[in-house]
Amino acid sequence: MATQKKDLLGQRLTRLEDPPLILGQGNYAADINFPNQLHMRIVRSPYAHAKITSIDTAEAAAISGIVKIWTSHDIADLPPIDFRADKSSEELKPFRQNVLATDRVRYVGDPVVAIFAEDPYVAEDAADLVVINVEQLRVITSADDEPGEFDVGLSSEAGLLTHTYGDVDAAFAAADTVIELDLRTGRHSGVPMETRGAIGVYDADEDILKLYGAAKVPHRNRDTLVRMLGRDEDKIELHEGHTGGGFGIRGELYPEDVLVLVAAMRLGRSVKWIEDRQEHMMAANQGRNQHHLVKIAVDKDGMILGMEDEFFHDQGGYVRTHGANVPNRTMCMLTGAYNVPAYRALCHFRLTNKTPAATYRAPGRFESTFVRERLMDALAVKLGIDRIELRRRNLITSDQMPFSLNFDEPGVEDMEIDNGDYPQLLDKALNWLKWDEMEADLERRRAAGEMVGSGIGVFVEESGKGPSDGARISVDENGDIEILTGGASLGQGFETTMAQICANALGVDYQRITVIHGQTNLIPYGIGAHAARATVMTGSAVNVTALTLRTKALDLAAEMLQLPADSLDIVDGTVIVTDKSSGPSITLAEIARRNEEGLAAEDFHKTKESAFPYGIHFAVVKVDPETGSIDVERFMVAYDVGCMVNEMLLEGQLVGGCIQGIGGALYEEFVYSDEGEPMAVTFADYMIPTLDRVPTVECMITEDAPSPHNLLGLKGGGEGGINGVGAAIAGAIDQAVGIPGAITQLPVTPQRMKEILNNS
Amino acid sequence: MDDVRYEAPESPDAAISLLAEAGSSARVFAGGTDVMVQIHAELIDPGVIVDIKKVPGIMDISESDGAYTFGAATPGMVLMAHEGLSSTWPGIIDGVALIGSIQVKGRASIGGNVCNGSPAADSTPTMIAANAVCNIVGPNGERTAPVEDIVTGPGKTSLVDGEFILSFSLPKRPAHSGDAYLRLTPRTEMDIAVVGAGVNITLDDDGTCTAARISLGAVAPTPLLVAEAADALIGTKVDDAALTKMGEACSAACNPISDKRGTKEYRIKTAAVIARRAVEIALERAREN
Repeated sequence: MATQKKDLLGQRLTRLEDPPLILGQGNYAADINFPNQLHMRIVRSPYAHAKITSIDTAEAAAISGIVKIWTSHDIADLPPIDFRADKSSEELKPFRQNVLATDRVRYVGDPVVAIFAEDPYVAEDAADLVVINVEQLRVITSADDEPGEFDVGLSSEAGLLTHTYGDVDAAFAAADTVIELDLRTGRHSGVPMETRGAIGVYDADEDILKLYGAAKVPHRNRDTLVRMLGRDEDKIELHEGHTGGGFGIRGELYPEDVLVLVAAMRLGRSVKWIEDRQEHMMAANQGRNQHHLVKIAVDKDGMILGMEDEFFHDQGGYVRTHGANVPNRTMCMLTGAYNVPAYRALCHFRLTNKTPAATYRAPGRFESTFVRERLMDALAVKLGIDRIELRRRNLITSDQMPFSLNFDEPGVEDMEIDNGDYPQLLDKALNWLKWDEMEADLERRRAAGEMVGSGIGVFVEESGKGPSDGARISVDENGDIEILTGGASLGQGFETTMAQICANALGVDYQRITVIHGQTNLIPYGIGAHAARATVMTGSAVNVTALTLRTKALDLAAEMLQLPADSLDIVDGTVIVTDKSSGPSITLAEIARRNEEGLAAEDFHKTKESAFPYGIHFAVVKVDPETGSIDVERFMVAYDVGCMVNEMLLEGQLVGGCIQGIGGALYEEFVYSDEGEPMAVTFADYMIPTLDRVPTVECMITEDAPSPHNLLGLKGGGEGGINGVGAAIAGAIDQAVGIPGAITQLPVTPQRMKEILNNS
Repeated sequence: MDDVRYEAPESPDAAISLLAEAGSSARVFAGGTDVMVQIHAELIDPGVIVDIKKVPGIMDISESDGAYTFGAATPGMVLMAHEGLSSTWPGIIDGVALIGSIQVKGRASIGGNVCNGSPAADSTPTMIAANAVCNIVGPNGERTAPVEDIVTGPGKTSLVDGEFILSFSLPKRPAHSGDAYLRLTPRTEMDIAVVGAGVNITLDDDGTCTAARISLGAVAPTPLLVAEAADALIGTKVDDAALTKMGEACSAACNPISDKRGTKEYRIKTAAVIARRAVEIALERAREN
């Protein structure tokens, strides 16, 4: 592909989206109001698994201000919350969640009754008076448990999923050494600062249903709603306002979204729902909860021959919009950055009586990197090979690129890693850290009695999965530029990123650019912000559109100035003769004014391929032997992103992700009692790391492997900060306490650490 | 929630009569950092909230001949900013500093922390260790009581209807005295103690411990004053053997529950560790003055 100038890329331009946010003018879901609106309150199941025998709403309905109370009988015509079109699977359909529970509840928090009231407080008071009578059923709180009955005659094991290639049995038969591990990742999730919210509005004149509070994937959710509600595409609109964090869990289509829309239409009034924190902790998607029985075969030099994994995925009460995406990504990504000639993974995709699980930042990757790197650490110890050297020997090299994983199973998508130089990144990272000095220093400290150690997590990420996204860019008669996208912003700096890409390609001041996203009525398509797609897909679409617009502007200017187009350039919004500050010129505003059709373009970025960034995490921890408390003294993220748009924003992604990863590695866990009662429904019990618990995360960003699949070489940065954290911290703790393989379970709470030390 | 009446009396007597009249449906309100949370969580449903912050003296700090008295509703941040108090009783300030966030400490008071009756309250163990005395007012007049007599169980106090703590009095500090508070939490900020230890010791000129008080939080239904732990230090140079014995006494005194923050065994084991570390800090402070 032709090289493109990238003068403005990488610069730490300040965020365009901040002024309203820091002036208190943000427009978050709770800020959105409509005249005469009703307020919805959900009565959630207090039982983890039960058959509903009756629901008594009479007392609640008698309260003044209650307008309507719905149980599943009132919306019996609604289908369950559907999978996204690209995630549909006939076998999984019976496991979808109804908008309101019909005859069974399957987790504490399962929506059973919707109350619509004049006032949110009245709705909440009424909710306390609803009586749900049940016969309790066997509660399954772990994917390890013997499967039970999801429904009459339907096992709670929704499926056995496999990913296979090569001759695994032969690999193990030929092995010099085999290591087997039993590993667990705890249940945790993104817990965005802004809880979910949905406001349903029905425009009766136009027969349009409007959902406010959308995020992440407005167009895809619109498409799902079109299918579920049987309406035309132009009769449903989704609108995204400011969004206070998403992390993959916010913005999926949930029962509450459907309820406010249907209620708005049927009750003839706008309906507002704002989730409270306690609800969020039992209703919004969770993740990570897997139990792996994994083994690896190597030859006498430590070269991997094969890998085999059987794991139990704790899906929670229902299969949500992603279908089996998370276990599938786990299996796809488990071999990571290493040459693994033969591979077999088997997933027990099991429903349990806990909050449903779905994608949380680096879905399947945080888990699989933990598993893979635990294997590598164990191998290094067993073989007596330095852990860095062992990894280096097995890394996929740049001359093997593009590197394909072709799975035997029909229908399982092959994976083709576009490019990358993993050994180079490893060398750069070790240099950056002054690894040998660091190791010697830690060795000295250990000799002096301190429990300190370092760990490493090597990973490959996937980003920018297609198929396509587009953008429309227009210049108005004042020279102000508008980028219209179907992208989404969860707070990550989407507007600045798009503006910076556009400003770079077009030759304008990024501050004159307005970026529109998340409005399905303004643009018919849009890929949203998920799976590290926004910068790669929408950014590439903005780039090609800006280049198209640039060509158009130069052609128009050439005619207007009577100069050849190839002698012209655009600098700061003005077409000039290349490299001449004096001489004929014309502003883009002037071109827009003079050209009858104005100045605008629409173009698309299409790809069948993903872009694969890669990274290495390093952690240094100190363990308090007496209390089991763990301090992360140092954390370094080495990450190759192909082409960096804005260093500050990328660092923000990496650092934020890393801190979430530290949370998942050491603190955060959705604990359930044996009866399925969620024990962590507030931030007093679900502990995200506070600032004093995390070090200054060091970021080493490289651009050594620009993706060949888009003009700028962009790869995604949203998940590179979190992917390897659990792996690196586990390795560091092992070394610190001097017990190889000590860490088999995340999070490593002080109490678990102390138990490990006591038992050793 | 039914209607709540809010009152802000400007004298102790007015506060006492409001509280006595309403009996158990009244709630004393100082910073509100527990009361408001409990109302929102529907744990309590008070009929009347009596805001005592306008009662004279309830937010004052005074010193007389080295002995401090401070109002029960004095916000934590004000206590922390008070030079004399924080240099004389750094251990009490250790405890206050660990309560919630800066914003919470801007309102939360020691009076509230003690009367909330949580076994895990962060300021209570050092107040007990300091031998602090509560100056209580109520329908039957004024009385005093040591802090360790206030909390009788989780959320329960020995105060009778109409009574509230007006202020706390701390004794004059002998030379070579030091206090300290440490707590163990999975996370070091914004968390609830798994174990808390308040320590107050005095040494003679030779470094022999002449007086000690050790109090543990979060290991029993109430904060504990562990006399056996103090006895293990008194008369010693606070050497390793004494510290070990002190830690064992702490573990022996524990009667904790297992919950999601820590099992019983973990609490008992770490109580000794935390207490020992708190003694070491107190010891260092005692040697410095």
